[in-house]
Amino acid sequence: MSVFLQQTVNGLSLGSAYAVFAVGFTLLFGVLNVLNLAQGAVFMVGAFTGLELVRLVELPLPLAFLVAMVTAGAVSVLTQVAVFGPLERRGGHRWMGLIASLAVARLLVAIAQEVFGTQVLRYPSEPWMEASWTIAGVQIQGLQLIVLATALLVMAALAVLLRATQTGRAIRTMAFNPNVARLVGVPVQRMTLLTYFIAGALAGAAGVQLGVLYNAVSPFMGETILLKGLTVLILGGLGHVPGAALAGLLLGLTEVYSVGYLSSSFRDAVGFGLVFIILLVRPHGLFGLTTRQRA
Amino acid sequence: MSSPYQRLAALLVVGALGLGPSAAAADTVTIGLAQSITGGSPALYGIEQKNAAELAVDEANAAKLLGDRKIQLVHLDDGADRGQTVNVFQRLIGRDKVVAIIGPTLSTGAFAADPIAQKAGVPVVAASNTASGVTDIGDYIFRVSPPEDRVTPGVLKTVVDRFKVKRVAQIYGIDDQLTKSAYNTQKKALEALGVEIVATETFQRGDVEFAAQLTKIKAAQPDLIVLGSLAEESAGILRQARQLGIPKEVVFVGTQSSISSKFFELAGPAAEGLIAGTAWYIDSPEPKNQEFVKKYEARFGRKPDIYSAYGYDAASLVINAIKEAGSGDRKAVRDNLAKTKNFPGVLGPIGFDAGREPVIDPKILVASGGRFVIFK
Amino acid sequence: MSEWLASYENVVALVLLNGILGIAAYLMLIVNRFSLATGGLMAIGAYVSVLATMNFGVPFALTLVLGGVTAAVMALLLGAPVLRIEGDYFALATLAFTEIVRIIALNWESVTGGALGIVGIPTETQIWQLALALAALTAAVFAVHRSAAGRVLAAIRGDEMAAAAIGIDVARARLLTFVASGAICGVAGAFAGHLNFFIGPSDFGMIRSIDAIVYAVFGGLGGVLGPVVGALVYTVLPEMLRFSAQAREILLSLVIILAVLFMPRGLISLNLPLRRWLPRRRGQRGKLAAGQGVAAE
Repeated sequence: MSVFLQQTVNGLSLGSAYAVFAVGFTLLFGVLNVLNLAQGAVFMVGAFTGLELVRLVELPLPLAFLVAMVTAGAVSVLTQVAVFGPLERRGGHRWMGLIASLAVARLLVAIAQEVFGTQVLRYPSEPWMEASWTIAGVQIQGLQLIVLATALLVMAALAVLLRATQTGRAIRTMAFNPNVARLVGVPVQRMTLLTYFIAGALAGAAGVQLGVLYNAVSPFMGETILLKGLTVLILGGLGHVPGAALAGLLLGLTEVYSVGYLSSSFRDAVGFGLVFIILLVRPHGLFGLTTRQRA
Repeated sequence: MSSPYQRLAALLVVGALGLGPSAAAADTVTIGLAQSITGGSPALYGIEQKNAAELAVDEANAAKLLGDRKIQLVHLDDGADRGQTVNVFQRLIGRDKVVAIIGPTLSTGAFAADPIAQKAGVPVVAASNTASGVTDIGDYIFRVSPPEDRVTPGVLKTVVDRFKVKRVAQIYGIDDQLTKSAYNTQKKALEALGVEIVATETFQRGDVEFAAQLTKIKAAQPDLIVLGSLAEESAGILRQARQLGIPKEVVFVGTQSSISSKFFELAGPAAEGLIAGTAWYIDSPEPKNQEFVKKYEARFGRKPDIYSAYGYDAASLVINAIKEAGSGDRKAVRDNLAKTKNFPGVLGPIGFDAGREPVIDPKILVASGGRFVIFK
Repeated sequence: MSEWLASYENVVALVLLNGILGIAAYLMLIVNRFSLATGGLMAIGAYVSVLATMNFGVPFALTLVLGGVTAAVMALLLGAPVLRIEGDYFALATLAFTEIVRIIALNWESVTGGALGIVGIPTETQIWQLALALAALTAAVFAVHRSAAGRVLAAIRGDEMAAAAIGIDVARARLLTFVASGAICGVAGAFAGHLNFFIGPSDFGMIRSIDAIVYAVFGGLGGVLGPVVGALVYTVLPEMLRFSAQAREILLSLVIILAVLFMPRGLISLNLPLRRWLPRRRGQRGKLAAGQGVAAE
């Protein structure tokens, strides 16, 4: 039983980081109908920013976390301004946008490699990082709690933003229908930039979380998370924010359980198999949103 | 905005520059370096080999080892993509007319590209291919990095005997040839030793999360855990193993790739006690080694790891073979490589056996106090 | 000349091979399905044909057919349930398929050799074969475009509901296209398997599928030459940029971004007068803008 509980704890902390990443990812999709594959690279930028702030500038982790989020958000906005915005204005269609996002991701990874080298980097050793408690035969690491807590905080903040503020209402209107949004006076350009910022910040947050949890930051860490993010997106339904959060947790748990009770070699196959089966049964994801038709 | 014609023309000019014939000065000998410096985790060891080879070549040129002739090292990156490895080999052989090639980084690249070198009669010396069968491709293919089956069985026997091991767990990377072939060798050796393999877990390249696998392994209560993983992964596994409370008495054995300072950096105190078999370690008292370590660190700002050592010796061996041959004739270089015995390398006295595998003296090391020392 | 060819032989082979893959991806894109199944179907073709040559001594030409047929059957089995899924969901379902195939190949060691792959494959594939295959394929697709079947495809691309309303069996047409695309992937896989002495599971994963899409989209979806040109440029570009080892990746990504920004409808949308001499679909210009705009959703 304690093995099951242990695996559950592992799965929840992993899943909460997935959830944070996926929520940003799905927001971009839901609001702007954009499948931005550069999000994985933005995640990596956040991870490096957090790491270097702690390593070189010796900032305390909470502060580094916030700065990393802001930096990742800024990079995301930059990609919108430099690439995706102009592409859309010049008549590029969605698939071209996808290619562009792949190239942007590649560029960011290449730059990170130039600057930081290919080596995996690690956070300097601090006593609080090794802290853990054993309850009922289950080992809970301090790091896991930190990831869970920050994930909850971040998502609560997002929920407040989306549900309770004017800005949030504007964003949700855009998600509903961009032309309607324009008609009712939503500053679409500004909201677009803001959405990119939020998505980037969330990706960056997940980057710091996973970087700290596994104490490993490398230029290639974005590739794996992107694939997981896509899986979560499908499970939760494209554009469905609470769905993404739940699906993130679900994926974390599924991965851990499939390693624990099936075979570690097929971990990813289980995730993909799940996606496949769910899509066959519910072609619009678990929470059933249709692909948007833009008028 | 320029017209389409101008853009196209510019692109073609740039392209032509890239595809045109290369001009080599009359008095140079060209050695090809096929190492991955992009494309994911192979870049980690590709870069080390490249750096080390450059160091060796620069030293040789400075010391005028080949008399008045200069050695030119041409490096091409294959992006850890085996299709590109073939492109790189063809280009080095056909366009740059290299005398020999050092590399490639990945064994899969070797299987795809070495046959081309073999057919063209260009000797290849690999510094990080550890899969079995690489040298079987032909008599122009040499290897400085010992295959796992030269090192692992000895290490495991010593460990099993010393610690009276009965139950073993294995964890390895399923999708990387280095880790997979390491696993195959380890499994065979363990079975030959008659111990019980109580758990086998896998992970994939790029994974940093091992808690699920380790929880399973912990429940199986092994005396020994054998890792088929690269340095970063070994570090991650050890750290998480300690965090999950795997008992201190459990012994860990790793692969040659763990022999790097990166490993200690990433694993922290969890590194203590890891045992690995290798031909080289940074504190090795070989005279050439200490000098090499100093020079490498001075030039590249970090300590060399095992792949740097292999790369350095591979380059040194090639340069020496050229010197012995007295010319840039590929066959002569190959023959001299094959004849090499007891060449003073960073790895110690090194040479090739009849199968063109390296003749080295493997040592068993244990991680202690932040560095690897000889296991007693 | 022969020296140049020796140095770049593999590059030329890859350009031709990628052209074939690009067309396979293109065929699906023009019926509004973003398919990432290319890698998985290619893998099936590759492994089947390689095992046939190496274990059963089957002649190469026959293994090409074998690879193509096996992949086509797989496409049929996959397509029937999956093609009705729309848009991005479809893309991810096909991605899941490709990844599952890769993971099976990784684990089914006794057959595929796992991560260590299959070694020592006879290199039957020749450039003339690839060139012939690509030329034949291009001609075939061009012919289809000008035929009744081509009009059906164009109708589906233009407006699916209208097409259904006038009696076109959209689902069947799509499935047939998917099976054809699958067969092409299978044959391409068989070629790829016999090109470099070696195959492994990572050769046919997500990246392969995405690359095929890139060739098609980057090249332009206006006609069958789009994916061919796209494959040419995208394959040759990294080779041309070898003069700068350090910054090659950065340069490559920048060039692609710039190309995408300056030619947002793909490379063949460049209005070079040369186009007047190139074969294309009838009445393409007007349809091009509308077709791409709606199809892209």
